[in-house]
Amino acid sequence: MDLNYAPEDREFRAKTRRWLEANTPRHELKTLDERKAWHRKLYEAGYVGMLWPREYGGWGATPMQQAIVQDEMARVSAPPTINGLGIGFIGPTIIVHGTEAQKKRYLKKMLTAEEIWCQLYSEPNAGSDLASLKTRAEDQGDHFLVNGQKIWTSSGPIADWGILLCRTDPKVAKHRGISCVLLNMRQPGVEVRPLKQITGSSLFSEVFMTNARAEKSDLIGGLNQGWEIAQTTLGYERGANSLGRVTRHAIAFNQLVKATRELKRGGRPLIEDPAIRAKLGRVYADLEVQRYAALRVLSALQKSDSPGAASSITKLSYTEFEKRYYETALEILGPYGQLMVAREEFEEVDTSSGEPGTFATAFLWSRAGTIYSGSSEIQKNIIGERVLGLPKEVRADRLKA
Amino acid sequence: MDYSFTSDQQLLKNSARAFLDEHCKPAAVRLLWDDPRGESDTMWKEMAQLGWLGLSLPEAYGGSALGMVESAILLEELGRAAYPGPYWPTVLAAAAVEAAGTDAQKKRWLSAIATGDARATLAFLDADMDWDPAVMTTRAEKTSNGWALSGTKRFVPWAHVANVLLIPARAPEGPTVFLVDPAASGLTMSPVQGMDLATRWVQINLDKVPVATDSLLGEPGQATPLLTSLLRRGAVGAAAEMLGAARRCLDMAVGYAKVREQFGQPIGSFQAIRHKCSEMLLEVENSHSAVYYAAWALDAKAEDEGLAASVAKAYVGDAGRKVCGEAIQVHGGIGFTWEYDLHIYFKRAKALEPMYGDVDYHREQIVRYVAR
Repeated sequence: MDLNYAPEDREFRAKTRRWLEANTPRHELKTLDERKAWHRKLYEAGYVGMLWPREYGGWGATPMQQAIVQDEMARVSAPPTINGLGIGFIGPTIIVHGTEAQKKRYLKKMLTAEEIWCQLYSEPNAGSDLASLKTRAEDQGDHFLVNGQKIWTSSGPIADWGILLCRTDPKVAKHRGISCVLLNMRQPGVEVRPLKQITGSSLFSEVFMTNARAEKSDLIGGLNQGWEIAQTTLGYERGANSLGRVTRHAIAFNQLVKATRELKRGGRPLIEDPAIRAKLGRVYADLEVQRYAALRVLSALQKSDSPGAASSITKLSYTEFEKRYYETALEILGPYGQLMVAREEFEEVDTSSGEPGTFATAFLWSRAGTIYSGSSEIQKNIIGERVLGLPKEVRADRLKA
Repeated sequence: MDYSFTSDQQLLKNSARAFLDEHCKPAAVRLLWDDPRGESDTMWKEMAQLGWLGLSLPEAYGGSALGMVESAILLEELGRAAYPGPYWPTVLAAAAVEAAGTDAQKKRWLSAIATGDARATLAFLDADMDWDPAVMTTRAEKTSNGWALSGTKRFVPWAHVANVLLIPARAPEGPTVFLVDPAASGLTMSPVQGMDLATRWVQINLDKVPVATDSLLGEPGQATPLLTSLLRRGAVGAAAEMLGAARRCLDMAVGYAKVREQFGQPIGSFQAIRHKCSEMLLEVENSHSAVYYAAWALDAKAEDEGLAASVAKAYVGDAGRKVCGEAIQVHGGIGFTWEYDLHIYFKRAKALEPMYGDVDYHREQIVRYVAR
């Protein structure tokens, strides 16, 4: 056990910090072009696509270095990169399962955000039970004809391409008839309708596909192998942003402490109230433990490529923590915790959603974490079955199959 | 950055597990419940031979000069076995003598502790039950040939088997720690028994107990940093023990959920049970991260060592209670019986929860560290 950062990681952090101090935009990035330009600058500095192999335009960096970059970006509240799903999941999927032609065509433009990607997985009736998806792709010789509806699609309106899970064989068991194909979003058969979330903004969309065309040459892996491909994709999400997340919450904690000095109860600042102090102590302990857990995951990633099913514990831990954290923050803030537009400086926090806002915004966003990328209930199923070795449940769809 | 154990540390863990699985079975723990001493001298000597008693003592006194990470590894295993005996109080007291004692005091006690010939304990809590060394009601008054201690020490672990008591008291100069002979005149002990029959506490009443001048640990009035450091170590050690008890309870619950059948299938196949077990594992793994971060921080004298110790004790206090309690729930009725072993570990975690600062105490410390 040695929890000191390695000398080269400390040096890398210092270098990253200097770069961000010199290059982080001082103003809010309003247009997509501004965001793309910032992303491009980060890419050229080696801070995007860090884990990708060099031969595909990546930087061959370590998960620790990537986590350090995220952490340093959080520290200065730097604007986020775009194309996170592309670079985090879709690109790695193409790298592992794609053809040489696909890699040449798509990867570099994904990294540089010349082309924005979205993920077309969930459907209105296929959420946790993703394999029951109904979007059909019919074989038309050189292409598929795609009909169906997707939902919860991040970056939908700005996406140029999507990675699509669709049914290519309706006659076999549901896991066996799914294919994975790349879909051009800029065609008449694809309609994107933004979905307004509980925060009032629209970062998700519904996507309707009506006789849309997907090229056969854009099939990822073999026909009807989509489910296995989707399973491996899900594994890439954890780890990299864990430290950055904790740092954002730690900055929010400082704001919370500031609030408890300014707000009063019974003529005394809240910070002098033992009940408030107990709450602050509880959430901070919880926050620190998330940081330790993040370091532990990074340490494990240094030794092996995949954290495997244990990554479900990480995801469950930090998303459930975020709910507890912002619930407590709002309890402490009283009516100030309701504000979606800051009236006081202490209200302003980085909501870690890409959406600027307040504690109230962060509180609302915390409800999403335990749903997206496999809900807490799905994570607990995975932990129970694959980590603890508990018996599989008897499921109605398995009895039928 | 390496969060995993070294091969030596893993070896220590494995050998501790093997030894305790054989020598500290639930039946052995139960046998000592009715024993007036409450511990086994044979086992104490064996632990000394394994090098556990001198684990963190200097080699000059027969120790291995290892760190808090190694102590935590051992304590986790001791907690997993609900080991009954004065291991941690003795080791903590030895650390105090090593840190602040004179050569004569070290010679007198450290080798004897390493060889298993002496036991020791530390009396943190005064009559008003405050862990803060600044609030100390036991008094030390100067006499013609030394000091006289008066006051009450509560919930002193294993004092009835100790050969030496480390007693903090307020001297005119400030907080001071004294090495006190348990047989000294004016010192009376009465046992205090909680729900865990394998944890023994003693109330010590001090009525002008005479202490010689050479029995001061360090300079008069200078004990606050020592006590703060001991409380931190004590808290991390207790958290490690609670972690061990929690992991035992989790293992028992998962094992039971795999074989116990209701409605024609193992109860572990039901999401209600599986999800509970997954949440328990999450708490155990987070507790592991917290305990070993804190242990490492103490060894590395990291900037956040105090914070990390309080985080570990506060977090694991909650987590241990939750995990051990939910293990009873997973078991159902059998988990509530005296015959079934689960309550041994459930009670051990519970007995450690208030010691070396409870959850509330450490939350307050955390706020002092971070809300400056």
